[in-house]
Amino acid sequence: MGLVWRITRLNFRAVLEYRAEFMLKVAVGAAWQISVVVFATVLLTRFPGMGGWATSDVLLLASMRLLSHGLYVLLLGRVTWTHIVVQLGQIDAFMLRPMPVYRQVQLAFFNVNAVGDLLVAASLFVGAVLVVDVDWTPARIAYLVVALVGGVLAEGAIGTALGSAALHAPATAYWSMWLDELMTAFGNYPLHILPGLVRDAFTFVLPLAFVAYLPAAVLTGHLETLAVPGWLAVASPLIGLLAYLASRLLWKRSLRAYKGYGGT
Amino acid sequence: MDAIIARDLTKTFHTIARRPGFVGGLKSLVAPARIAKTAVDGVSFSVREGELLALLGPNGAGKSTTIKMLTGILVPTSGEVRVAGLEPHRDRERNARTIGAVFGQRTQLWWDLPARDSLAILRDIFDVEAEEYRRRLAEFDDLLGLSEFWDSRIRHLSLGQRVRCDLAAALIHDPKIVFLDEPTIGMDVVVKEQVREFLRHQVEQRGRTVVLTTHDMTEVNRLAERIVLINHGRLFFDGSLTELRRQFGATWQVHVTLADAPADVAVPGLRVLRRDGPRVAFGPGDGATSTHEALRLIIERYAITDLAIEENDLEDVMREAYLHREQMTA
Ligand SMILES: Nc1ncnc2c1ncn2[C@@H]1O[C@H](COP(=O)(O)OP(=O)(O)OP(=O)(O)O)[C@@H](O)[C@H]1O
Ligand SMILES: [Mg+2]
Repeated sequence: MGLVWRITRLNFRAVLEYRAEFMLKVAVGAAWQISVVVFATVLLTRFPGMGGWATSDVLLLASMRLLSHGLYVLLLGRVTWTHIVVQLGQIDAFMLRPMPVYRQVQLAFFNVNAVGDLLVAASLFVGAVLVVDVDWTPARIAYLVVALVGGVLAEGAIGTALGSAALHAPATAYWSMWLDELMTAFGNYPLHILPGLVRDAFTFVLPLAFVAYLPAAVLTGHLETLAVPGWLAVASPLIGLLAYLASRLLWKRSLRAYKGYGGT
Repeated sequence: MDAIIARDLTKTFHTIARRPGFVGGLKSLVAPARIAKTAVDGVSFSVREGELLALLGPNGAGKSTTIKMLTGILVPTSGEVRVAGLEPHRDRERNARTIGAVFGQRTQLWWDLPARDSLAILRDIFDVEAEEYRRRLAEFDDLLGLSEFWDSRIRHLSLGQRVRCDLAAALIHDPKIVFLDEPTIGMDVVVKEQVREFLRHQVEQRGRTVVLTTHDMTEVNRLAERIVLINHGRLFFDGSLTELRRQFGATWQVHVTLADAPADVAVPGLRVLRRDGPRVAFGPGDGATSTHEALRLIIERYAITDLAIEENDLEDVMREAYLHREQMTA
């Protein structure tokens, strides 16, 4: 753990040295998130009570999703850059070191955008927690924290699965970008406003519903609006964890079949 | 004791063949034709502890693929590898502690960090003791002149500077076995000599086992005790430099000018390559004859007024060997 921290610190210092670039990246991360928030605000004020949820409930959902996304980008997000790591031949180098390749991918560089993402997400989150009509008992607070971790892991599962594919075909990066867009577009709203088929796809194919929508429904008492049984919604963090573990197995198998990127 | 053992090592890559044209492209999309390319084909050899082995062959011969299997980066399609008793791809992390590797064409260091930071990270990853680390770093600096540029980011270094940092990085954990795939790529003559000295030092003073690939024959001449030649994935020579010369390099020519010009010139054991009046060019006949031997034979029979000996350098020997192999497979 000390080692992970030391490498991260060096990576962070390396990006700090390009001061202008650093500020630009933080700013663009923040701008990106703010534009998402502005868009959400417009939607919410035009259509109050989206899908039977109060505006503040949707705000909690959106902020949970943005915060777990920000944490995901900070903690596990480099896995979506696997295609670059493969193309630079760095996977080969990682295999020559006594450290799991997955961890080395995560330590390949420091993603500055995440800082901006997180700044905006965290402020929005604090606002949402204060505004929303939820009685914050210790149990609910604990569930909120676990749900955020589950959200990080669920998104981590998607990223890791795509990264596993990128080990063989770097072109899968386009899919990652598309999925990222998709999750940004739909992840912040109650999914039951969507047609049933799309909603189910976001639940059982791409586990987007488990990131924030279902746990937010649990917290704000909207279990009756869901298309899945209440226990499944409550179990969201566990599903995130299981999905992540499954994706790590996939990564392991994929790495064993790694065939290098071209000849050198 | 054998540090490295490769038995019947084979690697087959499967790729998708492209059909020409737009329709062909669509066909490939619907029904891709998988083609198998055997990059390494039943290669067996072993390397003794403390030996320096040059793995040579033309472009695309399968050298890098072989090294990637020996280092555990690629899993062999079939065959067996043992490096210091371990199976590299099965025991990847343990293997990583006993070997070091440099792939000259690609760096293993962190692009955005100064070389010294990269080395410090590797020290931590490999748990190198602080005192040991300082000592080794000083030694590498002494031999490779790293301190001139080790505070610059890797991405700002020239190719030759970068590869020198990579060399230091590969040896920072004191591995017993070192794999070097074109370690002198992009280096100027002075630095090349410096690196050769460095490698010799690593083998002779530190007793490391080294497997080296290079296209630089001067390097082979200076460093290699033993040579393994592969072409089209197959091994076709394993022996010393002298043996290699004997097998493929006996293509010397002895040019003489005869004092008087007899109608027929013949020397048993030699071949007349060209004749132009009194000037005759001899080459080796069936048996492998040295130039000294040939000279003796010629002088025994003929009086000569002028003499020139042309011996092939290693590049010619190598060309001969590669071509010889092409003919064998054809
Ligand atoms: N990942 C891969 N997929 C498909 N074919 C590959 C792959 N890697 C290497 N090859 C093929 O395998 C053969 C051997 O390649 P390799 O890189 O081992 O050659 P080499 O001897 O190192 O050549 P060079 O001297 O040019 O470095 C080549 O024909 C190459 O095209
Ligand atoms: Mg090569």
